[in-house]
Amino acid sequence: MKEAFRLLASGDPETWGIVWRSLRFSFFSTLFALLPGIPVGVALGVREWRGRRTLVALLNAFMALPTVVIGLLVYSLISRSGPLGFLDLMYSPGGVVFGQAFLAFPVVASLTQAGLSKLDPRFRETLVTLGAGPWRRLFSTLFETRAVLVAAIVAAFGRVTGEVGVSMMLGGNIRFSTRTMTTAIALDAAKGEFERAVSLGVVLLAVAIAVNVSLHALAPREAA
Amino acid sequence: MSAAARGREPLFRAEGLELRYGRAGRGRAGLASSAAGGRRQTAFAAERLEIGEGEVVALLGPNGSGKTSLLKALNGLIKPAAGRILFQGEDLHASRSLRRRSVYLHQAPYILAGSVSYNLYYGAGARGLGRSEAEAGVAEALSLLGLAGYERRGHRELSGGEAQRVALARALAAGADVLLLDEPTASADAASAALVLGALRARAAAGATIVFSSHDPALAAALATRTIVLEAGAVVADRRE
Repeated sequence: MKEAFRLLASGDPETWGIVWRSLRFSFFSTLFALLPGIPVGVALGVREWRGRRTLVALLNAFMALPTVVIGLLVYSLISRSGPLGFLDLMYSPGGVVFGQAFLAFPVVASLTQAGLSKLDPRFRETLVTLGAGPWRRLFSTLFETRAVLVAAIVAAFGRVTGEVGVSMMLGGNIRFSTRTMTTAIALDAAKGEFERAVSLGVVLLAVAIAVNVSLHALAPREAA
Repeated sequence: MSAAARGREPLFRAEGLELRYGRAGRGRAGLASSAAGGRRQTAFAAERLEIGEGEVVALLGPNGSGKTSLLKALNGLIKPAAGRILFQGEDLHASRSLRRRSVYLHQAPYILAGSVSYNLYYGAGARGLGRSEAEAGVAEALSLLGLAGYERRGHRELSGGEAQRVALARALAAGADVLLLDEPTASADAASAALVLGALRARAAAGATIVFSSHDPALAAALATRTIVLEAGAVVADRRE
């Protein structure tokens, strides 16, 4: 344990390189998940339409899928013989980010939908009666539910930072390229080298605590 | 329609109107248009109903008599299951001036997440008022409703009566001269109710059209020039003072 903290405190370049790479992958995959995730969440959350409930159920199911299943799905898309094989994403940082974005998308879309569907019906009527057009209503809705959106983003970031299946399957755990905190922990623990595994575990724990504290801090504002 | 013809038209004219409650869980207002289908109860029906420009109309009646449904329909927030409502002679749902001129206020108004100032400028911004016009409107509304000094107060820091005053101020600051108010003093204490009454009297004197529902005959007597009594979704009395 002492050795693990020494590794962190000494600024070991490989250990911190892994931490930085993990957070960078998580940042970009969350960002890429937001682009379709928020519009889909809004479309599912603001009004009732045919097929909406089925899509919501599907999103919730994807949220609960093991990461290796998502990894397998994306593998079939980006492998050399897959429809996106020409992008040459397998075993590259881009492949990990792409796969993690797949993982984060249902989290963002589903939590956005859940938050928006709880909006007071008087809210929309108030915007309409005050003369807000469709675009102003959309932006006002996003602004009104900003706590929900931030919570969705934080939860998605937490989900991708802690996953191992997608990174392992699509990134291949390549040193200095696609190795993330979780894949490094899996490898080091398998080799019996626990110092770095524990040090990365400590960082992951800190990230998990930060994510959960943020979610709790946002929860009362969201509920009100 | 020519300006002269529009001038002869009442502000609102309902013909063969029928409003229905939505099925439980359907429709955001708890009300639904005929397109929603299903067995739904009639909330309000009237063969003909007219409200003129500048009238101050009190809708009186017990709960479930159709007051809220009628007010929402006059603001285009719900579509009739049958019949139509004309605003200045045009179909209400196609009318551009309806959104510029009228505002509906809930019995328990929704205050947008943000400051009082944000709320007051919201309607002005949505209706495209110029900056100076918006500032003048906001200042006047704040003063009319005794809200000077409340500008920075957050939406969570308002009591029921204050929220009702802020919502009315927001409607006035948006330049609305057709006010459709669902029990405008329902959550107000005596002081707030007096401020609301004063603001509505001032607007009525300036020529605004006000249609409000109430359980309070004293408020109706103090403000209204016409009283419509509803019962079980129908007009049972309509008298001008």
